[in-house]
Amino acid sequence: MEYSQLIVKLEKDLKKVTEESAREKIWRQYFGREGVIKKALSGLGALPQEKRKERAIEIQKFQREAQTLLDEKEKELKKTAFKENLASERESLDFEAPKIGHLHPLTETIKLINDFFREQGYSIMEGPEIETDEYCLQRLNVPIDHPARDMQDTIYIEEPNVLLRTQTSSIEARILESFKPPFKTAFPGKAYRNEKVNRSNHFMFHQYQGVVVLPEVSLKDLFGTFSALFQRLYGPSVKVRYRNKYYPEVEPGVGPDMQCFNCRGKGCRLCKGVGWIEMGGAGIIHPNVLKMAGIDRNKWMGFAFGLGLDRWAMAKYKITDIRTLMGGNLGYKYYENENSL
Amino acid sequence: MKILFSEIKKLVPDLKADVSKVGNFLTMAGFMMESLEEVRYLGKKDWLMGLEVRHNRPDCLSVLGIAREVAAKWNKPLVLPEFRIKQKIGRAKNISVKNGRFVKRIIAYRVTHVENGPSPEWLRNFLALYGMNSKSLLVDLSNFVMIVTGYPSHLLDERKLEGDLVWDLNDKFSRITTLDGTEIKLKKKNEIILRDNKKILALAGLVGGKKAEIDEKTETIIAEMAVYDSGAVHKNASSLKIITEAGNRLSKHLDPNGLPLAINWLLALILEQAGSDQSQVEVFNYYPKKENAPKIIFNPEKSKKFAGIPISVSENQKILLSLGFKIRPIKNSGNWRIEPPIGRLDIQQEEDLIEEVIRFKGFEKIPFNEIPKLTVTKDITPKIVRLVDSARESLKTLGLDEILSCALVSKEANRQMACIEGEPVLTLNSVNEEFPELRVSLAPGLLNQLKEWRKKNLKFCRFFEIGKIFCKVKGKYLEHNSLALLWGDDEEKFSLNEMRKLTEKMLRSLGLSNLVYSPSSNKPQIANPTVCFDISVDDRPIGVLYKLLPEENRPAVYLSEINLNQVLRSLSHGTNEAVYEFKEKLVTLDVNRKLKKTESIHRLINNIVRKIGKKHLWNLEVKDAFPLKDGIKYTISVSYRELSDQKAKDLHAKVFGL
Repeated sequence: MEYSQLIVKLEKDLKKVTEESAREKIWRQYFGREGVIKKALSGLGALPQEKRKERAIEIQKFQREAQTLLDEKEKELKKTAFKENLASERESLDFEAPKIGHLHPLTETIKLINDFFREQGYSIMEGPEIETDEYCLQRLNVPIDHPARDMQDTIYIEEPNVLLRTQTSSIEARILESFKPPFKTAFPGKAYRNEKVNRSNHFMFHQYQGVVVLPEVSLKDLFGTFSALFQRLYGPSVKVRYRNKYYPEVEPGVGPDMQCFNCRGKGCRLCKGVGWIEMGGAGIIHPNVLKMAGIDRNKWMGFAFGLGLDRWAMAKYKITDIRTLMGGNLGYKYYENENSL
Repeated sequence: MKILFSEIKKLVPDLKADVSKVGNFLTMAGFMMESLEEVRYLGKKDWLMGLEVRHNRPDCLSVLGIAREVAAKWNKPLVLPEFRIKQKIGRAKNISVKNGRFVKRIIAYRVTHVENGPSPEWLRNFLALYGMNSKSLLVDLSNFVMIVTGYPSHLLDERKLEGDLVWDLNDKFSRITTLDGTEIKLKKKNEIILRDNKKILALAGLVGGKKAEIDEKTETIIAEMAVYDSGAVHKNASSLKIITEAGNRLSKHLDPNGLPLAINWLLALILEQAGSDQSQVEVFNYYPKKENAPKIIFNPEKSKKFAGIPISVSENQKILLSLGFKIRPIKNSGNWRIEPPIGRLDIQQEEDLIEEVIRFKGFEKIPFNEIPKLTVTKDITPKIVRLVDSARESLKTLGLDEILSCALVSKEANRQMACIEGEPVLTLNSVNEEFPELRVSLAPGLLNQLKEWRKKNLKFCRFFEIGKIFCKVKGKYLEHNSLALLWGDDEEKFSLNEMRKLTEKMLRSLGLSNLVYSPSSNKPQIANPTVCFDISVDDRPIGVLYKLLPEENRPAVYLSEINLNQVLRSLSHGTNEAVYEFKEKLVTLDVNRKLKKTESIHRLINNIVRKIGKKHLWNLEVKDAFPLKDGIKYTISVSYRELSDQKAKDLHAKVFGL
């Protein structure tokens, strides 16, 4: 058979091949030890001199063409095999997502405020809930017989010295005593007072407090900090005012108020007709407080602030009964299709 | 404190500002106007202002005190009424102080030939606006002067006294009947009283007694006005549970030096309204230790430093003078020596004066729209705060909902759920007698939540709480941050092992490894004793994991509780070598070790780690545990770093005694 016919035959045979093993079998027919090419090459010696060269050229040509056809077939088979392999690896998504939990509304509130103060370079602190009278009141410039104690009905563990803290200012007293200035700190916490529990009052409540001691601070710094916080919490259009207000641990003392969001300052039941809502207390740390903590008032100044958290969280999450926050009545709403993406 | 606007104008006649402006000023200056009511008084339209007066300003629990503030703000003169007492004033006899420990000052007038009767209409109307019922002319005048000056007074009918009128500390009277007929049981513990030779007449500073009450037949009165130790009055009011207008004022620091003005005002009114030409007046004045106003060194430059805005020296001066402060400049220092006016016992040091200046300069003048550029300070956030935050986020991601519960629980709850050593902490006066103890575990709150959620058919009962738990050990009160997870969801197949995985995922996300579970040594009573395990890290117990005892109509409930402070201690043992440059290949060698069943593999590992040392230990792994008849055979694989093959082999042989 002529080589050109052999090529045609090879082409024809390869078309039928669907597996690599079959292609290899054909390759051996042509390129193996007993293959067509080997035989043809070994038969060259028997040819007359003048035909030998011509024949050799024909064999080489056939060899190249056959190899090309076999290589192409190999590529084609690999491609097909890869495709089949991909198909066999097919995986599908079942479109089920795990449930994501919820943080408590008060935690979300605290996180928001913590983030704000972290951005301002504050450290976030904590402190004990069982406190002594000294740290809860005396070190905050509220002596034993001070009438301001009437505001804080205490839950005692050992009367009169061991108690549940009535305010998170006790953490302030501990920070002032424990750390050398300068520092900027903020801290959320629980406080306890012996108050009757009803829809709007609870014996356990949450406060957010801060204390800053630097070589120099001013009421302007305090107001700027508070205003930025209020804007973060209530949006940029919030209206605030700062008025003088007495607190034993600060001098001058400040009462920050926010314009009532319900009546926009006109006066309603929510703001008791005043048009403003009291947001907490603040001021420049009283020199007696610094002195009791061993901080030199001539070298350092500080401001402190505190605000209630429960009402803020209740307003934001539309909770009407404070007991919900700490009882078993708090439910989290899930999307109905939560289990699908 | 209610203040009638026309009464302010009576004392500040030149005042042009209307009630709105005055109210706004007072609000910003420390006396928030909580209410403003249009009323009629003396046939004219008037305004009744409701002001918040804080504890530091008892002088402003009066029309006079508020009028002083208003006069200073608008720089108008304060005009006091002139008292013309025609009578010659003699010395009162038969009035004395036996125990004056808590008495600062007393002025008492004995007035004869008075005629008591109904009050005139103006007085009745005035008191009605303040929520007081008219009693009789003399009593009403006493109340009027208290509202106007801030100093309470007490009138006694001399006819009803048996012997001398004496101020004393109570050591013999066990009860008193007050003017309104209430009987109060006395504690004989530093109660300041007025008595005669036989009976108790009043609880000084708090309430008058029935036995020397003024009536229509009264002809001779003793009108007394006093200032006591405010702490003693406060304590007596609290312990005897007496709330009166007098007690409210006298339990704060009233200035004894303001007493003459107030009592003379009262005397003048009594003589004018109830006296006669025959009236004779005698006085008793007791002021054993005169209280002088402090002399405060004040640097006027400091006001602007505190406020953060410019306040000139002259502004400082103008404000302080308008408030009645006496200023004496100290030569060559720029400082002033300041003496506060009568009534201002709240002014004790320089910062108090700074507040006065800023208050009258106006808090509203201080800008508040700039975020301050405060000094950068070191981050001192305690690690536990970050750990708690991380744990919360981790649990949220794991699909649990956070709850918060009350720290006060029942004794029974603590008994059933305790899994820590130490006694529960008992409160003396809990808000609810059923919940007198501080929780020793977070389990009560979680179980309460589960109960409530199941009542409401909520299906995802998988939640957690992070909070403080408390106990008392060897007389010391201890508290630590605890974290508890509960899984009580009947929609899902769940097991202890799933609970372990959940707890472990959270703990591993915090950075803990080497978690070990062993049968619990301190099982809570609510736990199924066969399904209760302690969780430890490196032999350090960090928590407990258990299944609750079964209960009818409730799915299996699993609970784990972790001591986060212990977790923090475990984490602090690890060092954070984030990256390491390899200079030698690792050499990994195995060894077999046989342990008795009672011996701890973790202890063995800790020993190996210690012997090899951090410098050459890359990794240590227990590859296999093969149970034997009398113990367990462990295959341990150790990877050494920074050692050649031979040196690693030598160290391995040394460590394991090969």
